[in-house]
Amino acid sequence: MSDPNTTSDGGTVVADESLVSRWERIREREATVVGLTAIAVALFPWLFARAPVVSDVLLGYQSLATLILIWGIFAVGFDLLLGYTGLLSFGHAAFWGGAAYAAGVVANNVSADPIVMVVSGTLFAVLLAWLLGFLSLRRGGIYFSILTLAFAQMLYYMSAAPLAFLTGGENGLTGITVTPLFGLFHLESDLPTFAGELLGTWLYLFVGVFAVLAVAAAYRILNSPYGMVFRAIRENEQRAEFVGLNVWRYKLMAFIISGAFAGVAGSLFTIHGSYVPLQSLYWTESGEIVIMSVLGGTASLFGPIIGAGLYLYVENIVSGVQQLTVPFTDIVLVNDFGTYWHLLLGLVFVVVIWVAPRGIWGAISDVREFVWDRVGGDRR
Amino acid sequence: MARNNKSLNRRDVLKAAGVSTVGIAGLAGCSGGGGEQGGGDGGTGSGEGSGGDGGGGGGSEDYPALGNFPIDGNTATYGFNVPQSGPYASEGQDELRAYQLAVKHLNEGGGWVDSQFDDLSGDGVLGYQIDYVDGDTATDADTARQSASRMIQRDGAIMVSGGSSSAVAIAVQGLCQNENVLFMACLTHSNDTTGKDCARYGFREMFNAYMTGQALAPVVKEAYGEGLKFYQLYADYSWGQTQQASMKKFMTEVAGWEQVKSVATPLGTSDYQSYLSEAANSGADVLILNHYGLDGANSVQQAIDAGIDSDMEILVPLYNRPMAEAAGGAIEGIYGTVAWDSQIDNEPSKQFTQAFRDEYDRTPSGPAQLAYAQTLQYSAAAERAGTFYPPEVIKQLEGYEYSNIGMGSETMRACDHQAQRDVPVVQGLSASEQSQGQYFKIVNITSRDELGYACDEGPAAECELGPAK
Repeated sequence: MSDPNTTSDGGTVVADESLVSRWERIREREATVVGLTAIAVALFPWLFARAPVVSDVLLGYQSLATLILIWGIFAVGFDLLLGYTGLLSFGHAAFWGGAAYAAGVVANNVSADPIVMVVSGTLFAVLLAWLLGFLSLRRGGIYFSILTLAFAQMLYYMSAAPLAFLTGGENGLTGITVTPLFGLFHLESDLPTFAGELLGTWLYLFVGVFAVLAVAAAYRILNSPYGMVFRAIRENEQRAEFVGLNVWRYKLMAFIISGAFAGVAGSLFTIHGSYVPLQSLYWTESGEIVIMSVLGGTASLFGPIIGAGLYLYVENIVSGVQQLTVPFTDIVLVNDFGTYWHLLLGLVFVVVIWVAPRGIWGAISDVREFVWDRVGGDRR
Repeated sequence: MARNNKSLNRRDVLKAAGVSTVGIAGLAGCSGGGGEQGGGDGGTGSGEGSGGDGGGGGGSEDYPALGNFPIDGNTATYGFNVPQSGPYASEGQDELRAYQLAVKHLNEGGGWVDSQFDDLSGDGVLGYQIDYVDGDTATDADTARQSASRMIQRDGAIMVSGGSSSAVAIAVQGLCQNENVLFMACLTHSNDTTGKDCARYGFREMFNAYMTGQALAPVVKEAYGEGLKFYQLYADYSWGQTQQASMKKFMTEVAGWEQVKSVATPLGTSDYQSYLSEAANSGADVLILNHYGLDGANSVQQAIDAGIDSDMEILVPLYNRPMAEAAGGAIEGIYGTVAWDSQIDNEPSKQFTQAFRDEYDRTPSGPAQLAYAQTLQYSAAAERAGTFYPPEVIKQLEGYEYSNIGMGSETMRACDHQAQRDVPVVQGLSASEQSQGQYFKIVNITSRDELGYACDEGPAAECELGPAK
């Protein structure tokens, strides 16, 4: 959620050229991006769930803040594939749900240590991504999407019935009790003193560390020569091939990296809920992550995180609103407002795509550049 | 959690300061929890009358903070998590009506609060006004959990109730166990809810698939005779599987029938023709359709349309009203069990039916009675405990004997939190007799003495309740 630019945009000292250009220099640095992300991650739950006035307007709560971060990690990884490499996978539920089940099964049978769960879930997702990528990337375009969808649905049906002894079938995987982190810190308990007010629970801290690491890793990948190749493939696959790059290998790697992010997120999802719903492997989850990425803005680092936040906000908060009233009055506009949340989400999606084809982040960037030009930054 | 309490405190202060409604994105606001009916207005937690020492009744000095205990302010919030979209939506609506009625009666008196529950007085619970929040489970376990966690974390719900799908009930029950908030299950029929997935914080009034098998077997043996062959179709998920297993067990052991075959159908199937024609050609005498909700309505309807009822007897182990509505005259003469029915002839049933009709001008369904009963049951247990402190309320519910909800004498068994109660066996009425919301004829109310299982057998053998705190 960090926006390394708008944070200072608002307060730009007009006509102070040196400040603008100095900011311009450090803006793209990795330390700046990661640092601002960390600050945003640290402030987010407080603003969302506990800050006076703001949280009352937002109607947020701690558990949703954690969930938004988890989906944010998933979305960052997904965008590496969709936004940067130009591959639309419609089967990422396989990695999200697969990792969630792997983490849950390991917790129930081997060790319920949160770190062990994340490692095993991620490992499973990576291996699965390698296998499914190897099979699906034989074809491009729509055929690739359909293949990934088919493989993910196979996993769904496998865990629904034939593997029900392991996955709990329709009931989902129950009975997961996550042990304390390092044997000391109960994830559900509050952080001490000031950190507790700011971040809330140990679980949020745990997830937050992964979220910042995810952003850092994605940033590092995208700004490396490797990331450059991803973009080259997106722009023109043939040309990349002719330059001498092994396109297929790079595509497979992008798929596996993306699967790894989904794996981290899926394992954290299991830790967050102490439960794995069968739904986590269903094709609708794959659809949700596509919508989140496009809504927030593909081919950007933070767009998908914003998309995930907005989607989950509508799904969990707006759907629970019973009466829509005119602010600060008791005049009821719509009764049972929450039941229309699917409709509202559709409208939001259509409007965003219509007004800002590059998603929310694209719109923010456009505004930023407009302001920048006015202020007189001498870039581009 | 101290954090929640802090935030609620602040919120109440804000409300009292006049910022009583909150906006979404600065454009529009909402007020949580206001009832749709005018009568519920008394319960909207806007902090009215905040001068009194409402906290005194909670005994917060005597017990440590746990889950959402102690309650801040003088309003206790219940969370009602029902399907408002998806295949069980019409059932969910009826449950929600009953929940709203229960809250109204708790605050203002009326219904069972006046007549059946001596522990309740009609002026709230333990001096607290009762408010509620509702949520949509969408008949999906994940959505239901998110919805319940919002109720618990943001709205400070002290008790959550709901159901209509066993997967949902099991998922939410697990969450409530972790959050130390009581879960009063509404409609959930799978053996697992109080079997391998049972929880210290979950209580089920509804009977289960095992008991349905026990209740149906003697009735159908009497009606159709011994030595028959039966063929089963079942919805391929946990409820369908336990249901068909229970039917096989009791139709074989009690009725002395023989199973030809049991076939799984995917959940949400709309066309059962091929399954049904295979069943018709199997040479079996009885067809058992283990489907519920829309699936049930579809499969029964199609079986009748295919003329199967002329050669075979059909059984639908678990009925409900919306399902009967959808299937119409197709259910004529078909045996099954229901959670409760308004025709059951005793005082509590009549009183509830009357109160529900007075409020909504319609006949309540079985799940509605469960919803109403479970809400009052929890409230009465809190009154007996003298506190909302969850472990004390659990103690009051465990092993509790009662006979005030229209299903005869019951016990909420301590070992698995499964109510030991009678099971009504019904037979569907013809289309012409289905008037004024009556779809079934009650054939038998199988006594609880003939049902159930000991704590160390059947589903209960797999139950580990977990800790109370």
